Amino acid sequence: MRIKLSGIFVDDQQKALDFYTDILGFIKTQDIPVGEFRWLQLASPEGGDAELSLEPNANPAAKTFQEALFEQGIPITAFEVDDLESEFKRLSDLGVAFTTEPTNAGAVSIAVFADTCGNLIQIYQHESE
Amino acid sequence: MITRDRLIRLCKAREQLGCADPSKSSIDLVAKDAAMSRFHFVRQFKAVFGEAPVQYRMRARLNNAKQLLLNSDRSVTDICMAVGFSSLGSFSSLFAKHFGHPPSTYRRKFSGAVEAHSPHCMTLLRAAWAQQSQNSRSQ
Repeated sequence: MRIKLSGIFVDDQQKALDFYTDILGFIKTQDIPVGEFRWLQLASPEGGDAELSLEPNANPAAKTFQEALFEQGIPITAFEVDDLESEFKRLSDLGVAFTTEPTNAGAVSIAVFADTCGNLIQIYQHESE
Repeated sequence: MITRDRLIRLCKAREQLGCADPSKSSIDLVAKDAAMSRFHFVRQFKAVFGEAPVQYRMRARLNNAKQLLLNSDRSVTDICMAVGFSSLGSFSSLFAKHFGHPPSTYRRKFSGAVEAHSPHCMTLLRAAWAQQSQNSRSQ
């Protein structure tokens, strides 16, 4: 058993695809039309086995869940980075809105931003020992 | 940086823009309720939610209309007005552009077909896998 695929809800799949590829820099690995929706899957150009799917929040339960977490300031998932400060600067320069600036949290440093599709995303860097 | 307080106000604004009562969702009113100037509000909303408030509101109205088409027996004209569109023609063409079918066709096609209009990951995955295996067979 392996962890290979994880999904997040987004409020608009095209908007999400633009943000996750153009701004975050992930690579689209699957784009399959399913009626008015799509099956979208992304991978990181920096490697790693896991892929991310961008799923529509069309189910009212998904929408409620997503909006409540966002309003409470809770990130839906976290991505690891090598250099938190430089990612923070790169993304800020691209207009990404952060809710938490790079902050030391013990074993990791973290920052949190809005993904423009209704989620907060945490990025973290392991502190060197 | 978006402070906690501002994030909450932007969430309330989003809710207000998506509200079924169009009289409560004018941009000026929503910005005022969020205690921001219109200019500042539009800029921050876009940074956090990836689209301008008017675009978000349009998408929310179309989604409200979709729910009413599927879950009520109100007429298309009635629904068009109720969610805040003033012209049936522009409502129908926006709806078709967004959901692939004009309102009355959409209703006929998808009423009762919950998986088609509010899919979950397994619905989408199954369809994606089915298509993949079809493609690999035809190659």
